[in-house]
Amino acid sequence: MNTAPALAKLLRTVQPLSVNTSISAVAECFLQAQHSRFLSLPLVDEAGRPCGLISRYALQNIFMQRFGRDLWGNKPISEVMNPQPLLVCLDTRLEEAARQITAQLQSPIRDDFMLVDSQGRYCGLGTVLDVLKAMESRVGQRNRVLRQALIDLKESQVQLVQSEKMASLGQMVAGVAHELNTPLGYVTNNVQLLRELSQPLLQLAADQAELADCLADPDCSETRLAAALEAAASSRAQAAPELLAEDLQQLFADTGYGLGQIAELVVGLKDFARLDRAMSEQVDLNECIRSALLIARNNLKDKAEVLQQLAELPAIACAPSQINQVLLNLLNNAAQAIDGFGRIQVKSWAEAEHVLVSIEDSGRGMSAEVQKRIFDPFFTTKAVGEGTGLGLSISFKIIQDHGGSIRVASVPGRGTRFVLRLPQRQRAELKRSA
Amino acid sequence: MSERIRILFVDDEERILRSLALQFRRDYEVLTESDPQRALQRLQHESVHVLVSDQRMPGMSGAELLAAAQQIAPQTLRILLTGYSDLDAAVAALNNGGIFRYLTKPWDAQEMAFTLRQAGELALRQAPAAAASSLGEVAQTAAPLQLLLLDDDPQTLAVVAEFCVSGGHRLLRAANLAQALQWLNQEPIDLLVSDLHLAGEDSVPLLKTLARLHPRLLSLVVTPFQDTQALLKLINEAQIFRYLPKPIRKGLFDKGLQAAAAQAQLLRSQPAERIQRLPQAPRDEPEKERVGSLLGMLGRLRERLSA
Repeated sequence: MNTAPALAKLLRTVQPLSVNTSISAVAECFLQAQHSRFLSLPLVDEAGRPCGLISRYALQNIFMQRFGRDLWGNKPISEVMNPQPLLVCLDTRLEEAARQITAQLQSPIRDDFMLVDSQGRYCGLGTVLDVLKAMESRVGQRNRVLRQALIDLKESQVQLVQSEKMASLGQMVAGVAHELNTPLGYVTNNVQLLRELSQPLLQLAADQAELADCLADPDCSETRLAAALEAAASSRAQAAPELLAEDLQQLFADTGYGLGQIAELVVGLKDFARLDRAMSEQVDLNECIRSALLIARNNLKDKAEVLQQLAELPAIACAPSQINQVLLNLLNNAAQAIDGFGRIQVKSWAEAEHVLVSIEDSGRGMSAEVQKRIFDPFFTTKAVGEGTGLGLSISFKIIQDHGGSIRVASVPGRGTRFVLRLPQRQRAELKRSA
Repeated sequence: MSERIRILFVDDEERILRSLALQFRRDYEVLTESDPQRALQRLQHESVHVLVSDQRMPGMSGAELLAAAQQIAPQTLRILLTGYSDLDAAVAALNNGGIFRYLTKPWDAQEMAFTLRQAGELALRQAPAAAASSLGEVAQTAAPLQLLLLDDDPQTLAVVAEFCVSGGHRLLRAANLAQALQWLNQEPIDLLVSDLHLAGEDSVPLLKTLARLHPRLLSLVVTPFQDTQALLKLINEAQIFRYLPKPIRKGLFDKGLQAAAAQAQLLRSQPAERIQRLPQAPRDEPEKERVGSLLGMLGRLRERLSA
């Protein structure tokens, strides 16, 4: 039979009684051991269709009356039965059955319910207690599934946060690697040029040394001296040291500058990542800002002019690599919000209890609806594949964990301003976050 | 005495400009600009043979500068020199700026010298021709072109077929590279529309071979692949005319086909000796061999072109 297994398991086989059975006979039935667990017994007509339920409770009321048995005992049970018993079809789902049962049964519970097949024929009895037990085990099962789902969700959240971190780290490393190519380009070329330019100088030095030897040697022949003089003169014309001096100076200066740039970027990368310490007591947020600006430079330079207004700040306790991540995220968002070439203003200042940083762009701005959602995980206005939608939600979490706040103000078409507010003193129990 | 070649370098890093100027001042008349806007103004008034631009500059990207330069001074050869391998920039520089080379920083001094020498030669050869005719006039008196399609994608076919019907051009199709070689040997082809793969075969060596052998032929590549390195090689070694992404965007594809048709008509009107390509030789050994053997297989095409 094609029934839902849940209810079929609850089915208890009870031989139904005819509606014409006398009340006394029914009472005898209730006393039989196999019926002891039931609150009521099923009554059917000649065709086996359910007609009603008779409960112990109803019989008790009769027999507790004076002369109850004498007055009622021989009457048919149909006169006192519940003619509208609860009928539950066997293929009903357990939850639906429970809903029907709780909707109809009264308190205190006096009745069981009748299980019928799809044609409405009597199949057996079901008890409320069995339904309760079945529901409880089902709820327990659901809870286990939910708990597992929660664990899975937490794991994948950690993974997402991690992959967002890796993505921004990868972007940053790629950006810096590309940024290195510019100084590397002219330094490499300059070294090659210096090599070429120094060749005639070395030749000149050799020829002049030969000339000096000739002059110092009293035995030197006229022809050798003449040759040495000529060689020195020609290599001097070739090398043109007077003209070369300026070029060499410039080449060395540029090369030195380029190497400085390369070193600065490498140090910047190291400072930025600061993997060596998670939480530090004495952090100057301006350092974080400069570090993030250096790392973001390649994303910013063709998008915006960056104006800095950094006031002197008291050192605060924070996790600098996390704050850097937030600043880089805000700077990159600012650059991406700008169509064409715009302006990004970075300010920092101190208040009595807090240190504040604002990053303001002259970009597209956001509507009120977008502003409401920007800190929601997975919310993004960028094209698929360009953003995880986690950047700002992670930034929000980082600042929150630092006991600070992050606020946004934006006017569509005018730009957006983010303000970070971090407490100067951290509470002792400050959480170490991801 | 031949004309002295003028090269304009544009980069927002002055040290790059100084280094390049010092390297090339003996061989060329070197001009430098650190501001792309000023570089454009300069192009309005001065003739420049070769323009070499950085990509990331404040105010204007190199691809934008090169696209604007193509309008102002189409006879100038355009080269992008950048430290960023950026697919979008490369596509924009090719499709809108018609670049001759995409070079990367740090650059190899000798390679750069070689590229500039090639560019200078080409610029001198092309200068009188480009000045003589404008694209619009030629397109008016257009004779039908022959287009060879090497892509079994029905979407590509639909756009190309529509273009051929409306322009009165003849569409030839090849199901594999052998058929493509047959067509190329038999028929004068003006335009080639090709995916990077045809019936499981790599069609890149063919594109590179044709760039060396058949300078009048313009190649449009349609591909689902987004690989910056592969695109750089297609620009430098196959000198493709357009790089179009799949899935196909009809508007963009149509514009590319129209531009290619106009350019092909222009090339037709010029004597063969004026038209030269000078692609970079393939670096990859197996590919080099493949190009060599394809050159052999296209013997009949070569005969016809040299006749």
